[in-house]
Amino acid sequence: MTDRPEVAGRDGFHRLLLAEWTKLRSVPRWVLTVVATVVVTALVALLVASSSNADANEHRVVVGPDGQPVSDEFHFVHQPLPGDGNVTARVVTQDDSNAWAKAGVMVKEGTESGSPYAAMMVTPGNGLRLQANFSTDLAGAAEAEPRWLRLTRSGSEITGYESPDGSVWSKVGMVELDALPPTVEVGLFVASPNDVQIHRQLGSIGVGETPTAGKATFDNVSVVSAQPSKPGAWADLDVGQPGTAGASTESDGMFTVTGSGDVASDPPDDDVVLISLSPGVLVAVLAIVALGVVFATSEYNRGMIRTTLAASPRRGPVLAAKAVVIGGTTFVAGLLASVSAFLLAQPILRANGYGPPAFPEPSLSDGPVLRAVVGTAAALALIAVLSLGAGVILRRSAGAIAGVLVLLILPLLVAHALPPGAAAWLMRLTPAGGFAIQQTVDRSETALEPWAMIGPWAGFGVLCAYTAVTLGVAFWLLRRRDA
Amino acid sequence: MEATIEVRGLRKQYGTTVALDDLSFDVDAGHVTGFVGPNGAGKSTTMRIVLGLDAADGGTALVGGQPYPQLRTPLCHVGALLDAAAVHPSRRARDHLLWMARSNGLPRRRVDEVIDLVGLSSVARRRAGTYSLGMRQRLGIAAALLGDPPVLMFDEPVNGLDPEGISWIRGLLRSLAEEGRAVLVSSHLMSELEDSADHLVVIGRGRLIADTTVSELLATASKGRVDVRTMQRAAAMALFANAGGTAAVNDRDAVTVSGLTAEHVSGLLDAAGLPYFEVTPHRASLEEAYMDLTRDAVEFAAPPVGEPR
Repeated sequence: MTDRPEVAGRDGFHRLLLAEWTKLRSVPRWVLTVVATVVVTALVALLVASSSNADANEHRVVVGPDGQPVSDEFHFVHQPLPGDGNVTARVVTQDDSNAWAKAGVMVKEGTESGSPYAAMMVTPGNGLRLQANFSTDLAGAAEAEPRWLRLTRSGSEITGYESPDGSVWSKVGMVELDALPPTVEVGLFVASPNDVQIHRQLGSIGVGETPTAGKATFDNVSVVSAQPSKPGAWADLDVGQPGTAGASTESDGMFTVTGSGDVASDPPDDDVVLISLSPGVLVAVLAIVALGVVFATSEYNRGMIRTTLAASPRRGPVLAAKAVVIGGTTFVAGLLASVSAFLLAQPILRANGYGPPAFPEPSLSDGPVLRAVVGTAAALALIAVLSLGAGVILRRSAGAIAGVLVLLILPLLVAHALPPGAAAWLMRLTPAGGFAIQQTVDRSETALEPWAMIGPWAGFGVLCAYTAVTLGVAFWLLRRRDA
Repeated sequence: MEATIEVRGLRKQYGTTVALDDLSFDVDAGHVTGFVGPNGAGKSTTMRIVLGLDAADGGTALVGGQPYPQLRTPLCHVGALLDAAAVHPSRRARDHLLWMARSNGLPRRRVDEVIDLVGLSSVARRRAGTYSLGMRQRLGIAAALLGDPPVLMFDEPVNGLDPEGISWIRGLLRSLAEEGRAVLVSSHLMSELEDSADHLVVIGRGRLIADTTVSELLATASKGRVDVRTMQRAAAMALFANAGGTAAVNDRDAVTVSGLTAEHVSGLLDAAGLPYFEVTPHRASLEEAYMDLTRDAVEFAAPPVGEPR
């Protein structure tokens, strides 16, 4: 670097940033810590990927129209609908076999599991819904049966209606099903998802599933085709392989249908992005916390804070510059670490069974993957700033490092031993929830890692709040205390 | 900006300990002002308050007419050496000066200049942790000179220096003052300042004891004392005591008398027929003057050796 006399004319904060950056880069141990963070994160990701195995692809995997793994099991009472038309039915009763038990009318490409569909349904716990292709989910009225339901096909557009009495209809929504054949299958369907039992003991989680049987009765069932055609005959079958076989009976236009299984997206519990990022980052966190704390406490160990504050008497900007420098450095290192961990681990994970179709191949350009990779770097940066604040507040390395690590790591360990509700609260109340930013699959009730207990942005928000409060207290103390 | 430090009515209390009690003094341009007092007298506290590091409970401290925290490039206004050990041991000396220069927008060239000035060029790339105490003092002085400031404050700068270093510091202090800067140098040993300071601010237990020039202080301390050299020391001391004076043994054949004029002393000796060689006005040393001033202000004093406790 050459002499730059114009530096004298720059604004004060820029000079503070340069000063703090000079401090950070001129202690070899700190530079080494930053470099080691990147290398160790990538190495741990490699190790964990090499020793991970998945057998999900050895079972039959049903995939939906978008290639995503889905569950598509239910009892279907159906008949063909040539061209445009509609299907209507009134759900008279529905057993409360599961909060997400489904009973209603469906338009489906065929009877093959995983094929495109749209369905109007009532549920015992989640009101009336219009769902399509395992991804669209629109809510209708909150109260369920008895309810009139109708699906109308017009080309690729399927519109859902509901009515309390069969005469006043209101539209719930419209979905587009691309590439539907001219003749589709329409009719009544009943499904009821498995009950999930979670057993937790210190260090181990057991998940058990038991099939449930849903039951519903329908009347006023009609299929109307825009094309002149003779009324179709009803057929029925189990789509997919539900846990218990379904059945249907009809007498005087009253249909009684039982069915088991679920019609929904069914992402694998294992999150291939999380697997490649999380273990390395848990190791990197140790180094980052120590670095953030020591960047603050080294000022106090030898009275250097007096030199710092004599050179820059405005204390708020001094702490802000320290936070920007340590946060920025950690973010860049964290991004290098998470990108290389992801790129190195993914091919190995795919080779070890974490591949399509059970695990769709993640790409850095996917929204959730990008959120996880960049979010990991951002979370590490926030943790570095949080540690800096703790260092300023406590002025002692050992206490500050221990304090921050207890807040970050202990909840992850304890959460394994707690019931899911308590574990979720633990994630909401401690900055450990920040690791949730590494999730890329929707949370399911069978995914029980602590960081699956809270949404990615919610967890990240908790970490942000902790960092803001800690830095705020540090500001206040630094301004108030004698140096 | 004027090269001055103005301290007015400073008060500072730590818990129940009064560190500074209504302390006022000025440090003027072109002089080396010695800041003297026993350990714990409040010298470092005063300097920290001047630098805005500690908040005073009352009073003001201005440098060049401004409160320190309002300075935007403080290193260009005030240079301070508070604690030579306040350097990260893993950092190269040059990088230590560089971050300070960066914080005040000073060019990198200035770092090399002050390194040359304090004679650390050959070791500037070594880690500060490998420095001897004397080298760290020089590094601290280099840091103080970084912004070429008109006001300088050095807290115990000769601590840990070898004789060559001490004489270097004295020369540096004098030349800085001759350039028109205001220089404040603290010490708990008056003898360290004897050759370098023009002006003295003496404090004890947070209070101002004397704010005077070196020559005035010496005159005050010498005033009213007479040195007598006589072979008959015991008889002479009894004689002075009877006449209302106070006599102290100074040497094998010398006595210092206070409370009596030289004329009175020689008159008494003549009348009693005691032989004497010499009756002269006492010439106090700076150390002696200082001891007189601070006798009551020493916070941690050991009882005199040999006295029953």
